[in-house]
Amino acid sequence: MAARPLLRVEDLQLHYRTRRGIARAVDGVSFDIRANEALVVLGESGCGKSSLAKALLRILPRNVHSFRGQVMLGDTDVMALGDEAFRRDVQWTRVAMVMQAAMNALNPVVRVGEQVAEPLRVHAGWSRERARERVVRTFEQVGVATDFLQRYPFELSGGMRQRVVLAMALVTEPELVILDEPTSALDVLTQASIMNVLKRIKREQGTSFMLITHDVATSSEIADRVALMYAGQMVEVADADAFFHEPAHPYSQMLMASVPRLRQQTEPAPIPGQPPELIEPPAGCRFADRCPRRFDRCAREPEPLRVGERHHVRCWLHAGSGGAGGGGRA
Amino acid sequence: MSTAPGVASPSRAGSLRDLRRIAAFTARRLVALFLTVMVGVYLTIVIANMGGEVDELRKLQIRSTVAEQVRADPAFADMPAEERNELIQRRVQQQIERRRLDEPFILRSIDYLQQAAVLDLGRAEEMHSDRGSREVYRIIVERLPATLLLFGTANLLVFFVSVFAALRLSRHYGSISDRAVIALAPSSAAPGWFYGIFLILIFAFIVPVLPAGGMVDVPPPDGAWAYAVSVLRHMVLPVAAMFISSIFISIYSWRTFFLIHSSEDYVEMARAKGLPAGMIERRYILRPTLSPIITSFALMLIGLWSGAIILEQVFNWPGLGTLLFQAIGHRDTPVIIGSVVIFAYLLALTVFLLDILYAILDPRVRVGIEGDNQ
Repeated sequence: MAARPLLRVEDLQLHYRTRRGIARAVDGVSFDIRANEALVVLGESGCGKSSLAKALLRILPRNVHSFRGQVMLGDTDVMALGDEAFRRDVQWTRVAMVMQAAMNALNPVVRVGEQVAEPLRVHAGWSRERARERVVRTFEQVGVATDFLQRYPFELSGGMRQRVVLAMALVTEPELVILDEPTSALDVLTQASIMNVLKRIKREQGTSFMLITHDVATSSEIADRVALMYAGQMVEVADADAFFHEPAHPYSQMLMASVPRLRQQTEPAPIPGQPPELIEPPAGCRFADRCPRRFDRCAREPEPLRVGERHHVRCWLHAGSGGAGGGGRA
Repeated sequence: MSTAPGVASPSRAGSLRDLRRIAAFTARRLVALFLTVMVGVYLTIVIANMGGEVDELRKLQIRSTVAEQVRADPAFADMPAEERNELIQRRVQQQIERRRLDEPFILRSIDYLQQAAVLDLGRAEEMHSDRGSREVYRIIVERLPATLLLFGTANLLVFFVSVFAALRLSRHYGSISDRAVIALAPSSAAPGWFYGIFLILIFAFIVPVLPAGGMVDVPPPDGAWAYAVSVLRHMVLPVAAMFISSIFISIYSWRTFFLIHSSEDYVEMARAKGLPAGMIERRYILRPTLSPIITSFALMLIGLWSGAIILEQVFNWPGLGTLLFQAIGHRDTPVIIGSVVIFAYLLALTVFLLDILYAILDPRVRVGIEGDNQ
């Protein structure tokens, strides 16, 4: 194979135990990310995006009901690793993460520089001086002045804190960085400059990114690939071009139609209805209730169907004999 | 490289200016604390004297004592009744003037306050120390070591055991031992002396292995070693009683405290970073929460000074609690006020030291102080 994937996820499942039943936050998700590729994971709030990120880094809450599937990172079978081996060999050394709540992701009583250097000191056993040099370089990459090393988190603005958190994820030069809504709490200018930092690092260092967001517009800037999640499942995974221009799943199509654009003739069209609950989701296609093109087969749950080169869709419309595109309303 | 937009940049002021700010802050803090102590002490003076009511009782007492003395004295036996009454009247007046009971209470209360402020605790009215001194200061200081020994041992034990047990439990949230502690927490609804009664019953009477009360054998054993062993044996039951009555609620509340703080985003981040569990505990849970932990430790320490009235009674322990109990019984206001004054000063001193400690421990507080005058 020419391009072996850096990360291959097969049928990943993460279910939580809740008072009301089993919440299927991640329910049979499969995708891959190649080296130097940026996968954008789109989806509404509560569709399981963040759970997917946490599952990959194994930051699990206490109420996990089931956690299984296959995750290959290069040649490493990640799910087969014990917790200690995972902590030592994968966490932060190979996969790092920028967490959603970057505002509070920094320890309030430890100097920023020290916190960013921590992974190097702990995982790689670097000396203070050596780690410091690397931190200085990483700070420069993400646009943080080096005299901030001695500051405490509360002395930094939101944008700066976000950059510091980003620096913390990049400092060990991991192969894959997972970013969970890295810009959602920031103003547009800061957002744009952080996206630029990401693009430059991807270009210069060949890092792969998995960017989780609900912001279609910002994501299109950096995406090589797009995955769309709905109710714990990935309903479409495709190259960015294909996804943005010819989305295959009805949900993708409606999502793209709901995004306002400049110089656009048509009004943005909202998607009616609510996503289903993750606890006891409806049998059959989970989008069926809101789908204008629902038909008989939607009562059965669709499997991911291959519709093109690295392009999969969970929709019966694309099953060869299912009357592709012609089903109409049942 | 673009300089960061919108960075909160605290001006790196000269250290001299910082120092002056800290001095000003400290001075203001001291004045405020002193005023607090004075208000507290004055309230105690007014309350312990029942707003001057106690003076009337004292006058009555003086009158009856003097009358008794004069009547019992054979030297005045053949004195005419009128003359004798005059004599009694004169002597009562003398006593009243000597104790300044003829002045209005409000003036004297201010006087008392002034004396209290300079720690001149005065003389007790009825009570005296075991060595026979009537100085309130000596009476209190004589009882202090007994209380400190007993309550210090018990409270330090409870504090450290519960903090470390709580850390462990918060890591194993929902485990059997965690649930056991939650289930046992209501046991702290009963005070230490309650458990003390049962412990005395069991270990001093049913299975007589430990002394039922007191601080040392009677007569005290010779030799420092034997004396210490005897005191230790007497301490076992009261310490056990206090330990049982507060350990579970203490573990429970610390465990909840640590649980709340171990779900902070930065702790989750530290876990994601793959830091070892011990480091997360020390750096990400204990260190940011050190201020409240130290606060509760310090308040526990000064809590020791007041002793516990009923527990000391149950175990017949010669401490401050017993002293206060006796002082209230005798309406010996100088002793009551004296112990409150000492306690108030200690409390203020602790709060002041805590302010400084906070600034050392938490950079956010530090800036608050340094930037105080801005």
